[in-house]
Amino acid sequence: MKPTTLSHSPWLRLLLRRLFQLVALALLVGTVCFFMARALPGDMATRIAAGRYGYDLVSNAAADAVRAELGLDRPVGLALLHWWGDIARFHLGVSLVTGAAVWAEIAHALGRTLLLSAVALAIGAGLGLPLGIWSGLHAGGWVDRVVLVMAVALRALPSFLLAVLLMVGVAVRLGALPVAGGDAAGSVLLPALTLGLGLAAGLARVTRGALHEVARSPSYEFARTKGLSDRQALVHHGLRQAAVPVVTYLGLQAVFLIEGALVVETLFAWPGIGHELVHAVFGRDVPMIQGAALCMGLLFVLFNLGVDAICLALDPRRRAGGAR
Amino acid sequence: MDDHIDHIDHIAPIVPTAAGPVTRRAALGLSLAAAGAAVLAPPPSRAQAARAPLRIVGPWEIAGLAPASSGHVFTRLQIAETLMDAHDDGTPLPGLAARWRVSDDGLAWRFELRPGARFHDGTAVTADAVARCLRAARTPPALLSQAPIVAIEPDDGAGIVTIRLATPHDGLPSLLAHSSTLVLAPSSYAADGGVRAIVGSGPYRAVVVEPPQRVATVVFEGWDGPRPAIERVEYLCASRPETRALMAESGQADLAYGLDPVSLARLRRRGRVRIAAVTLPRTVIVKVNAGLKQLADVRVRRALSLSIDRAGIARALLRDPDLAATQLFPPTLAGWHYPALAPLTHDPAAAARLLTEAGWHAGADGLLDPNGQPLRLALRTFVDRPELPVIATALQAQWREAGIAVRVAIGNSGDVPIGHRDGSLQLALAARNYATVPDPTGTLAQDFGPKGGDWGAMGWHDDGLTRALDELRRGRPTPERAAVLRERVAAALQEGLPVIPVAWYRQQVALGDRIDGVSLDPLERSYRLTRMRWRA
Amino acid sequence: MKPAWQAMPPAAPERSRRVSVSRRAGLGVLLGLALFSLLGPWLLDVDPTRQVLADSLRAPDGSHLLGTDVLGRDVLARLMHAARLSFGLALLAAITAAVPGVLLGIAASWRGAGVERALVMLSDVVLSVPGLLLVLLFAALVPGRGEALYVGLSLSLWVEYFRVARAASRAVLASDAVQASRLLGFGPGHVLRWHLLPALAPVTGTLLAFSAAQAVLALAALGFVGVGLQPPTPELGLMMTEYLPHYEEAPWLIGAPVALLMLLVLGMLLLAGDAEGA
Repeated sequence: MKPTTLSHSPWLRLLLRRLFQLVALALLVGTVCFFMARALPGDMATRIAAGRYGYDLVSNAAADAVRAELGLDRPVGLALLHWWGDIARFHLGVSLVTGAAVWAEIAHALGRTLLLSAVALAIGAGLGLPLGIWSGLHAGGWVDRVVLVMAVALRALPSFLLAVLLMVGVAVRLGALPVAGGDAAGSVLLPALTLGLGLAAGLARVTRGALHEVARSPSYEFARTKGLSDRQALVHHGLRQAAVPVVTYLGLQAVFLIEGALVVETLFAWPGIGHELVHAVFGRDVPMIQGAALCMGLLFVLFNLGVDAICLALDPRRRAGGAR
Repeated sequence: MDDHIDHIDHIAPIVPTAAGPVTRRAALGLSLAAAGAAVLAPPPSRAQAARAPLRIVGPWEIAGLAPASSGHVFTRLQIAETLMDAHDDGTPLPGLAARWRVSDDGLAWRFELRPGARFHDGTAVTADAVARCLRAARTPPALLSQAPIVAIEPDDGAGIVTIRLATPHDGLPSLLAHSSTLVLAPSSYAADGGVRAIVGSGPYRAVVVEPPQRVATVVFEGWDGPRPAIERVEYLCASRPETRALMAESGQADLAYGLDPVSLARLRRRGRVRIAAVTLPRTVIVKVNAGLKQLADVRVRRALSLSIDRAGIARALLRDPDLAATQLFPPTLAGWHYPALAPLTHDPAAAARLLTEAGWHAGADGLLDPNGQPLRLALRTFVDRPELPVIATALQAQWREAGIAVRVAIGNSGDVPIGHRDGSLQLALAARNYATVPDPTGTLAQDFGPKGGDWGAMGWHDDGLTRALDELRRGRPTPERAAVLRERVAAALQEGLPVIPVAWYRQQVALGDRIDGVSLDPLERSYRLTRMRWRA
Repeated sequence: MKPAWQAMPPAAPERSRRVSVSRRAGLGVLLGLALFSLLGPWLLDVDPTRQVLADSLRAPDGSHLLGTDVLGRDVLARLMHAARLSFGLALLAAITAAVPGVLLGIAASWRGAGVERALVMLSDVVLSVPGLLLVLLFAALVPGRGEALYVGLSLSLWVEYFRVARAASRAVLASDAVQASRLLGFGPGHVLRWHLLPALAPVTGTLLAFSAAQAVLALAALGFVGVGLQPPTPELGLMMTEYLPHYEEAPWLIGAPVALLMLLVLGMLLLAGDAEGA
């Protein structure tokens, strides 16, 4: 292995790349949110009034009051400059609908969604990885076929149906867990299970594919001819090779997990960020939309940083500056 | 096979660190187990002797702390009070005001505050605090802006608030019963005038307020009335009706509001929970733009109404045949519902006749006017009430059979007032609450005034109706005269059909078996927690 | 250094017979679905929007093979029309995402260096904008147009294809087979057709299957929050959302579109060769 200089250190390059991505993301999201919200049909002030006061009280008088309060009549160019300035200073502003600080609301909601996603990820990996490994190594066996059928079923099943079935079966019939809400003990399990089962299905297939390749690869054969047992060959050679595509897949799925949590959050009354984002889009609550998008983007960048770091650690070829 | 040769070189470093993967995996396993234990372990248990709090689940979100947007949450949970209360039929009751008097010319109202009333922070309820809240409640959309208030004068020493009006306004006590006029302690407000905490004067005090979902309360020790039997109450917002029904069924919620007809049928079949019902003064209406040349003719509007199969909609969609509207006001609005009025019916033949009389003839696929233009309309509605899009779909099909092509646009509730203002609205489906304040006169004057209203008439007015509403509000009529006036209003609306009633509403609530003494408020102002008690 | 011919990926002729059975099964399923959605409406000849409120929620019987929904509309007719619309749009979204994604992925690993870095940066930034937000904003920009939703979806789907294509084509382009082709003087077109596309086909096919299902389910999720096509157009995802409340009193209602979607996913997976054995 050639010694690497600091400027070519893969870790530093990784960090710089992600930092640049973060800045580009902030600018892009901010500008897109600004223009989209202005370009959206439907009067913004009335939408905000509807979000604040509800359908019984919303009226043109209320909309006028909101319009005056928020200064929505300012020219676009000036408003955009103000916008960029605010982003640069990390001023996420105040929600137009509730009046609370955007930062506080998002931090709270994001924390809940992260908890849900983490538990769902644990359940998905805990179920999917072992099943995938087994069916990859014993491809064509009955476990493989059963996993295929389950994967198809779970990928085509809408999450709200799965959620309701779990609610009825586990919470109502068995009385084992609370139906909904975010505060009761164990209330994270049902929503996490709903998300995790779908994740497990896809993960099992991807792991199966990766391990199938590994099991057929010459390096695995070579490890066996060296005298290592099946298990040793798997643990020391196979898993590491298979880990890279699996970790990459998990990285992508984690994003979908956070977004797919919307339906689950709505059904289980879990106070997360997907719910906030939908409300914000409907209510034209632009600071909230922007804040939520920026936070989710930040999350994604950080998560990807982690995934890349793991891949770098797993795959020495990348560290050596090889095919990247 | 260069890759593989490189790979072989790298195998060597791995073997000596055989402990590496093992400990890494063990670490992962341990952390997973720890996480699992953390989420599965119950929280430190409260004293088992204390009962779990009363749990209410409903569809209403807590949108911030401002009284105009979420006042209803706090008045329903009896955390904050309004100056006036109301009977089921809308007549005023004392709230924070123990007594009230109006001057002879009707321009000055005196409200005497309850002497023992205290805020949750220990301070007494003063006239100044009340006046401050009322002044804040005068900006739209707070309904107090409807009253012609000139000045609000608190007299702190005597605990009296005097409200001076420009013209007499009989509906003032009703307006003061609306949740946007709730009274908060001065310590609830931040320096910039925004509300930062809910410190009210009701029998329960807020312990946790977590918008948009959760409020937890506990009995207020300084309450000057009889102590409520229920010590602690929690409200949770769950936006899907299926979730609320399942929470009721599993016992996680003691009171579940806002159940949909399908879940109700299921709960009744199971028989595990009781269902209480009360009819609400809310009607599903089709707001019509009578200024459009196609809809200006009252015969066309009447034909639209005759084509609606209200009984079918009530039976199939609302699962309750009694909810088919025969007129605008449901039977529970006793002063306004007149059984003698000719009911709205389903008569496609009569509708066809009326349309022909109005000049429309049947074309290839729909009605055409003398110039060959088809009758095409757009119906706006919104999803906030889940039954509205389904009813809109049913109406679309029923009108299509009559030859009217209707396009349904499902959007946001704000689209209706906007469409009213810029004239682009043609038809809109909404669920209008005629007792937003206990006395419907104010809402009706808003909706059917000379220039129409955002949720009422558009391009239509009736002078007799306007005069009747005016006299009811300002004329201070005798009860007999008031009855005559109300009948005139109801008849005018039934004749002119500026809004076409479709169905009424029933509030159905699932009750758990832990509580007794539940009474439902048709005006939706309060959960009436102080009247409830635990079942032994 | 091993001889070049040993370096070629196994053509695996012994797998083809087993593969073709599952491939044929997949093809059969997809053809069945295509017939169902394209010819079915014409054969059945029932108006999917005709309501008979008195017939609300009938169980399957002779006149309504799949029963009726809450407005008394025939479910089988709605399903056929919905299949046509939804499968078409879902496949459109998936292909609209796949073609640029795959091509960009190949371009990235072919050119390497600056081009690759720029494309990877673009894909990362696009992926960090929440897909849900993109679709919701699209839906709000053009309310009531289903096509806009699917376009919004493909904007967030293409990145998956890009990443997978880039990773897979890098391996292929570095392989000896491609080097041999190049040495023999074959141009990029040949490499594309004979090396890259066959290598990418199975995994892209799998992704296509999942993307199509994802597109329909995303529409169902959007319908869940109240966004989507306007009535009375039948759409598969929206049907699932509409029939959810009746999961207990009429389970066949939600079972039908879900079963249809499962068949689509199964057929596409089988065709892509994902179910092959050892």
